[in-house]
Amino acid sequence: MLETAVLSVDRVNKRFGGIVAVKDMTFEVQAGEVLGLMGPNGAGKTTLLNLIAGVYRPDSGRVLFQGKDITRCAPHKTCHLGIARTYQIPQPFTHLSVRDNLLVTATYGSKKGDTFELDEILDLVDLSKQKGMIAGDLATISLKKLELARALASDPTLILLDEVAAGSTDAEIPRILDITKQVRKMGKTIILVEHVMKVMVEAVDRIVVMDKGEKIAEGTPGEVMKDEKVLAAYFG
Amino acid sequence: MKIPRLTTLVSVAVLVVLALFPVIGIPLTWLNYLFLFFIYLALANMWNLLAGYSGLICLCPHAFVGLAGYTLAIGTWVGVPFQVGLIAGAVVAALFALLISYPVFRMRGIYFAIGTLILPEVLRVWFSFWRPVGNIYQGMGAGYSVTGVAGVTLGDTYWLGLAIAVASIFLVHIILRTRLGLGLKAIRDNENTAASGGVNVFQVKLYSFLIAAFIMGIAGAAYYIYSPRINPVGGFSIRWLLMPLMATVIGGEGIEEGPIIGAAIVTFLTFQLAPYGAWSLFIQGVILIAVVLVVPQGIAGFLRQVGAYRFPLKLFQAAEGKIHKNLK
Repeated sequence: MLETAVLSVDRVNKRFGGIVAVKDMTFEVQAGEVLGLMGPNGAGKTTLLNLIAGVYRPDSGRVLFQGKDITRCAPHKTCHLGIARTYQIPQPFTHLSVRDNLLVTATYGSKKGDTFELDEILDLVDLSKQKGMIAGDLATISLKKLELARALASDPTLILLDEVAAGSTDAEIPRILDITKQVRKMGKTIILVEHVMKVMVEAVDRIVVMDKGEKIAEGTPGEVMKDEKVLAAYFG
Repeated sequence: MKIPRLTTLVSVAVLVVLALFPVIGIPLTWLNYLFLFFIYLALANMWNLLAGYSGLICLCPHAFVGLAGYTLAIGTWVGVPFQVGLIAGAVVAALFALLISYPVFRMRGIYFAIGTLILPEVLRVWFSFWRPVGNIYQGMGAGYSVTGVAGVTLGDTYWLGLAIAVASIFLVHIILRTRLGLGLKAIRDNENTAASGGVNVFQVKLYSFLIAAFIMGIAGAAYYIYSPRINPVGGFSIRWLLMPLMATVIGGEGIEEGPIIGAAIVTFLTFQLAPYGAWSLFIQGVILIAVVLVVPQGIAGFLRQVGAYRFPLKLFQAAEGKIHKNLK
């Protein structure tokens, strides 16, 4: 098991002042797997992503990426190693064109350093027509897709997706699911934080459920949905 | 719209005419005006590189100007030729930028701005007491005169200023089209996203900071060859900050031609308002506020918005078409 783990999070703790954001978190993600990260608001999901991406440093515990200790790596280092992430609230380079948004991560983040795949990525997320547009002028759904495209442009091994479907209408969700599946076919490993249950159930292999910073359940979507602790966390 | 090649030709023609000014007997006052314009232009271009393209509101150009000026002046006192002093001044300014980079880059946005603002003040006080060479006061306070520049004519300094200004324009033009420029714009727009996209934020900021400090330093040193007397109040004067700041904001921040338009306006105003003494900066400040309120994108931004460049570009294109026809 251990040799195929792309990412292993080992007893990671993070507190902000008196608040425990992540407590004794341990889990692994296997190569090519889509892992769902679920939990009520404030459960610590985004904090966990930030700990993996290097935005925060854990108070204790370790994060291993492809066997390498990345616990104390800065965000640009984790990107160089092959971790890309999207933000829950889109964070584009507002004054740059859509294509230049991708060009930044492709030139700075990609190990290959080539940019010929950018148009393919834009095609994948349906942004080809808008590639010359200034990112700040895009509609919300396009910004969500741009987040994903920018993450892909660094040619990552592992992608952290923070609520890609949040804010989209029901009509748009099948398309987002489809894109997620395409990304998976590219051989990427994905950690997916999601509130939209349909996306969660259909897209992921395995779910880790968090509540108040702790892991309360782990398993296939079917197993997790029946778990008493999970039901208690969600419905009280 | 594709930029016609004639645009480049016109720019080159303007440059040649400017370069010929000292030899065709232009009034000396014009040369004085233009020299100051070149210095302000170089400073403004670098200020624009930092504020407009890197998101660094750097309020310490007067630290770089003063340090370079003092390096030049003190250098000439220990026998360093002023040509070497010019470069040495720029190098010292860049080294100072390197020294302060770690503490000031820990601050972002407005905190960075305030952090940089206190540095020239510290230097001003330091240079009021520190007198490494010479024991006879030259000029007021702890001032120095720059020696060994008596043979330098106004024409020479004019050409030096022109060269520095043109170099600063090209430098910004080139940087914006390289990997570094892309990284800078990314940081300006969103530092966190830039970092998670693989941009080493500290390193990229440092590069632009060092380049700007070097060019600001060389522009400052050139000024003190032109006006060979430096003292702490003048060398670390806030006008070295206000001129490029006003030129950039009035002309258009984050637009390549912005500082050129802005520096021309600011230089013109400086001379027109000179009779009003201390009121001069006040009036310029009022104009700055008016511009920010009426056209927040600056004059160049406004010109772009209304498509003012379209007409001359079309003229150029038409002219180019005719030239091609005649050649055939």
